Order: sequence, then structure tokens, then C-alpha cells
Amino acid sequence: MSGFAALLRKELLEQWRTMRLPLVATVFLLVGLSSPLLARFTPEILRAVGGDQFQIVLPTPTAAAAYDQLAKNLGQFGALVAVLLAMGSVATEKERGTAALILTKPASRGAFLLAKIVAIGTTLGISTAIAAAGAWFYTLILFEPLPLGGFVAALVLQWLALVAYASITFLGSTLTRSALAAAGLGVAAFIVLGILGIVPAIGRYLPTGLGAPARALALGQPGVDALGPTVASVALIAGLLLIAWLAFRRQEL
Amino acid sequence: MADLKPEQIVALLVPIIVIQVGLMIAALIDLERDERQVRGGNKLVWALVIVFVNLLGPIVYFVAGREEA
Repeated sequence: MSGFAALLRKELLEQWRTMRLPLVATVFLLVGLSSPLLARFTPEILRAVGGDQFQIVLPTPTAAAAYDQLAKNLGQFGALVAVLLAMGSVATEKERGTAALILTKPASRGAFLLAKIVAIGTTLGISTAIAAAGAWFYTLILFEPLPLGGFVAALVLQWLALVAYASITFLGSTLTRSALAAAGLGVAAFIVLGILGIVPAIGRYLPTGLGAPARALALGQPGVDALGPTVASVALIAGLLLIAWLAFRRQEL
Repeated sequence: MADLKPEQIVALLVPIIVIQVGLMIAALIDLERDERQVRGGNKLVWALVIVFVNLLGPIVYFVAGREEA
């Protein structure tokens, strides 16, 4: 892993200077703040729009609805952002020739890849934390406090799912020279995993399977089994990065 | 579930509106710089993406729309 520290510093600086980190953090904050608001006021909005036409009884929204709204928005929107962050990471540098240039310095190819994905994971992590802080605070004002420890744990699991989608796209970005092809792979994986996630036997061990234990943790329910899905997702991410490294090692740049 | 007065609801909405409009303006200012090159070459298209693609528009612009000179 020679050169990893220097490369990571460069990548993190790049996340900041290209506006990625501030931008994604800002948008995630927006998602965090608006989710509890949406959960709280959706019934009233529907009533105002529908008037007397529908005689539907809408359940009174709760803090659980606020969490569900957040998880849904972060899960879908966050996954798209993860794909956007990872799509060009390696492919664009190969196409421009900057990858070859950097690797003439004393830095291994493994370090080059790892620094990139760690920087993307850091951007997603900081942004998820900011979204979580905003959502927790607005849920407190609009509903009631969610258990803080469980909520933090839930958002760590959500972050892990986002890193998984980034890793799939990252593998695509390593295998091809096209950022668009990588994005296609990421989006396709998101859809396929979404469908496979419904299958009970395997769904639990896919990144989509992190949703159920995350929800239980956030709402403070007892006896949550988060270990299996967590280990499976970490293994998936590690496997994807390993394949990326094996392929990248032998590529001509 | 706490009952909220209308002005309290407005206070909760203000940060959201400020952030959303701020993002859009930041992206448009960056786009308008003379030396800025964009993917596809057409700045008008990117301006439309930033303004009309809710939330994701400014991100797509900053991450994928700009080309380094």
C-alpha cells in the first residue's frame, strides 16, 4: 500500500475542491430536514388537495413515519448520489491519462484505488451524518425524540448500503474507460438488488436487507439482528474492491 | 405530536427553501463564468437542468457537467 496516505490526502482535498463534499452534504441536509416535514404534513396536504372528494381516513403520522420517509429518500436519492460520485472516479482518470501520470510516482495501484473509494465513502459518511442530525432534530420538534443511539446505528447501516452502491459503480469505473457505463452498472445493480431484496431467503443479506434492522434500531425496538446483513454487506464491498484491484493491476493505462 | 402554529411551520421551512435556492444559485453562478466549459458545450441546457431538475440538477451539474479547462 505504498503512497496511500498521500493519495488519500489528495483525494479528500479533491472531494472538497471540486465542491463534491460541500454539495452532497448540503443536499443530504435538505433531505434530512424535509423528510420529517413531509411525514408530518402529507395527510394535511392530501386533505387540502383532495377536499371532500376522498373520504379516506389517514393514520396520524408518528415519529416512525418520519424515519420511514428519511430512509426512503436517503435510500433512493442517496444511492443515485453514490453512483454519481463513483462513476467517473477511475474511468475519467484513465481516459484523461492522469491515472498513468500519478502511478509513475511511488504509489501502488492498490493504494490508488483504495484512496479513491475511501474518499467517496468519507463524503457519503459526512453527508449521511449531517442528514441524520437534521432529521433527528426536526423529528424532535415535529413529533418526539427518537432514541439517539439506535438512530445513529440505523444511519450507519444506511451509509453502508450507500457505500455498497458506490462500490458497484466503482468496480464498473475500474473495468471500463467510460463513466457512463459505470453509472449504468450502478443503476442496474440498484434496480436488480431492489428486486432481489424482496426474496426473503437472500434479501436479508443484500444491501437492501440493511433497511429492516436499521428501522428497528432507529425506533428503539428490542432484539434487533443487524449482524448478518452488516457482515454480508461489508463482505460484498470488500469483494467488489478486490475484483476491481485484480482487474486494475493488469490494465494498461 | 406537538401542535404547531403557522409561523412555527414557516420557521421550519425557511432553512429548506434557503438551501434549495442557494444551491441553484451557486450552480448558476459557476455556470455563468466565461471560462467555464461544460459537457456537450451547451450552457443553456445545463441551466435548464439546474433549475428544473429538482435537487439532483445542481449535483449532476457539479459532478458531471463541468469540464476542466
